[in-house]
Amino acid sequence: MMEVDIIRTGYGTIQVAGASARRGPCFTRAVLDVAGGLLTWPRVDDEMGLPVAEIDDVHDAQQWLSALYGERVSIACATVDREGLRVPAEETTLARDAARLAFGHWAARWWPASYMDQIPALDADLLGAELAALAYQCQQLFDPYNDGVTELIEEHQAGIDRLMHWHGGASASAARSIETVLRLIDDAADNMGLDTPPLRRLRSAIHRSFQPCSDLSGALNTPSARYGDYALAAAGPPAATSRVIARGTGINDWPRYPPGLVDAAEDAISWVARAVGARRQIEISAVAGAAAAWAVPLVAEVRVDGGAPSRVPLARRDDVWAGLADLAMPPTGQAPIEVTVLLPGFDPGPGGGDSPDDDPNNDDPNDGDPHSDGPNKRDLSGDSDNGDSDNGGPDDSAPDDGGRADRDAIRALTRRRLSGADDGAVRPFLAEIAASQNG
Amino acid sequence: MSSSDQSLLVSSHGARQSTNGCPRSPRAMVIDRAWRALGPGVEPLSGPGGAPLTRTVKLILLPLVVRPTLRPALGADLLGPAEASWLDALVREAGERLRATAQWFTLLKKVRRALDIATGNPQDLYFQRCFELATEHGAPGDDAERLAQGVLLEVVEQAGGRTVEALKDYLCHQGRHARVGRELIAAWAHRDLDLTTEMDSVVSLAAEVLDECGDPDAIDKGPAAFTSMVDGEFGGVFGRVLWAVPSGVWGGNDLPSHLSLTAHPMPPRPEVGRAASTAELPAPLDRTLFERLFVVLRASTWREDLPTVPDLVQREVGRSCSPLGLRDESLRVAALLGARLAVGLDPLGSGHTALGQTAAHRTINHRWRRESSVLKARRMTTAADPDGGALATIAMDLQRPWVAYMRRLWVRLHGRDVREAPLHDLASAWAVLDGVVRSVMMDHRARVRAALRALATAPAHAAEARSA
Repeated sequence: MMEVDIIRTGYGTIQVAGASARRGPCFTRAVLDVAGGLLTWPRVDDEMGLPVAEIDDVHDAQQWLSALYGERVSIACATVDREGLRVPAEETTLARDAARLAFGHWAARWWPASYMDQIPALDADLLGAELAALAYQCQQLFDPYNDGVTELIEEHQAGIDRLMHWHGGASASAARSIETVLRLIDDAADNMGLDTPPLRRLRSAIHRSFQPCSDLSGALNTPSARYGDYALAAAGPPAATSRVIARGTGINDWPRYPPGLVDAAEDAISWVARAVGARRQIEISAVAGAAAAWAVPLVAEVRVDGGAPSRVPLARRDDVWAGLADLAMPPTGQAPIEVTVLLPGFDPGPGGGDSPDDDPNNDDPNDGDPHSDGPNKRDLSGDSDNGDSDNGGPDDSAPDDGGRADRDAIRALTRRRLSGADDGAVRPFLAEIAASQNG
Repeated sequence: MSSSDQSLLVSSHGARQSTNGCPRSPRAMVIDRAWRALGPGVEPLSGPGGAPLTRTVKLILLPLVVRPTLRPALGADLLGPAEASWLDALVREAGERLRATAQWFTLLKKVRRALDIATGNPQDLYFQRCFELATEHGAPGDDAERLAQGVLLEVVEQAGGRTVEALKDYLCHQGRHARVGRELIAAWAHRDLDLTTEMDSVVSLAAEVLDECGDPDAIDKGPAAFTSMVDGEFGGVFGRVLWAVPSGVWGGNDLPSHLSLTAHPMPPRPEVGRAASTAELPAPLDRTLFERLFVVLRASTWREDLPTVPDLVQREVGRSCSPLGLRDESLRVAALLGARLAVGLDPLGSGHTALGQTAAHRTINHRWRRESSVLKARRMTTAADPDGGALATIAMDLQRPWVAYMRRLWVRLHGRDVREAPLHDLASAWAVLDGVVRSVMMDHRARVRAALRALATAPAHAAEARSA
């Protein structure tokens, strides 16, 4: 049994928080919108544990408070004042399911799929279909008009067919999980009046108790099949008269581009600087991720000697995003070069323009003016042209820092999960099982 | 006693004690236990874990079995032992009827499928009907299929001709269209343009009222100010100001008085119209009479409460020529409060807004910063980058948050006006103002999702063109 602190904040919200892990950077956080509030798991890991709840409408939240944290937390939320209360929370079935649902949503956005690291991508529709089933399983948490189940089913219908396909050839334990997921989807669709061809096929499959169909092969995209040959610096043969003056690896800052565009490996982004006569050129290449996206206007941000960043457009060729640009180098010819990849219009700034200090709850209005909080105010409007002086300056982004430890922790977590050896609190998703079988 | 009254009473007496010292239980848990104690037979109304579906609670158990409006003691979030056993007994006594309701629901879904009816959520449409059937007939018997068919067809026809098609047909008639046009011209000419109240004082009064919002405890203490704003018809004042003063209302800056409720300096006289496109509706006060009613009829939720189409049109003539395009003064006051709220919205956390911040602003802007943090965790960020394309356009709209806010707010208030649902107190007005913020955030998410999807599926030759 774990204790949680319940406090009424100055914003008219109530916060429920245990002594959980320190809030990690944005790519380690799992969130769930629930009736009357928000649940946050400050850092995804094997255990997940209890979420932090921020409650805007305690009356609405009462529909899940006791089922998620137990009766005493629910009562405490109805009676708490500014002094706060500390009460024991229970470990409930709903808390376990909610953690798994939040983890699945996290995986859909941040799973560090990498050909280079041999971390296979997850099939988005398999994952989405299972999340639909799980969201329905957790129906108590949600406002019935905003539970996400309908959207997940409609968006990931392809996953329903794939699951039915897989069922026949699956191991006994996987077949049981598949059947559970499919029955939940059918039940949810029936209750919500959804009716589409995949759902009709599912309905009739359930009627004939899942007669064996063909096996999984061909039903899933295996990421390994897609990759052809590529070289890390594959942007064409160097000009005959050029000479390499420097080469290096860029920072793979995940939050700066949408999921799946770039291979998540630490050294997926590389660059070569060449002298071509009197000119200096930089050639950047980034190994493409599993998303079959070709026309995304990704750019590389290049910074020489801590100066102002410049952008180099990248174009996709086969499995590499590549770009070439002239480089303004100091006369000495030697200067540190930093390279990263981002999508303009999406990029929230280095590290997601986000730090643990950026927690909206760190500035209670009762502690002073709520609008005079910390330096990191950019939030949604990350304006990368201004440089990143408010993120500690360029000196902080040495290649071995810049979030590398956090990214490595995520890679280790996904490897443990795929190996199947570790028995973490969050049971593997079918998409993970499929990926480890094919990967 | 309302739920908030109860919690106020006990907040000074510690967590587990009510005022008379008895342990109390969360009502949700009492309901959950009572439901599970019913045993087999109610599965069609239960979620996968055995708890009642959230819609079962909201549409059947609370309004039809527990009925807190008749039994206020059962309306609180926490119940004392006596109330808990009372509630438990009510659910237990309804057991037979609930099992029959579940059977009717299963049957209705089956017959619905056979009749090929595919619109709407069956729980929303049939839960209460099933309970009525169970009350009247018990469990489904010999005649059940016929009864079920009757109910299904009745629900389908319930729209009673209050549809977009009916509106279109009605206004298609040439003479009728011309008559409504003439009436609009006359009503517009006879507007009351009198401006005797100072808008400045009205705006500061709105700020005072907003200072009472945002804290669930404080809001119950400040209803008098809201009522006096309604009695003083300050919402109407705001509406008439829009007809006369294009800017300067919101401090010394270039914000238009109407906060983009119209694309013009001042709201123009509404036209009749005879068509509408969902994708490209103009700003609220630029909408034709047809477009205004189209939006109401398209949202089917309240159809039963609406007047018939000829009546709808007739009333909309007067409404669209009223201040803010609304008739009810409490709704106009809500629009005024919403406008004052809108000019202080700060989704980007810039700290710079046109007018000062109230408690309501602090609550909303705090939530907006939380949303920004959620969007980062969901990898759905946007940035106002000159090279950012569609995503940057979405980001830039966050720099003018009042546009989306006022549009959403007006539609909601207009919908209430049409179905004659005024706002009786500050708490319910705040629920609307607050709910609109949520909708604006959800709209933002949907736009980001769509833009990211479009990027991922854009044809490859676009990239070639770019690099050429």
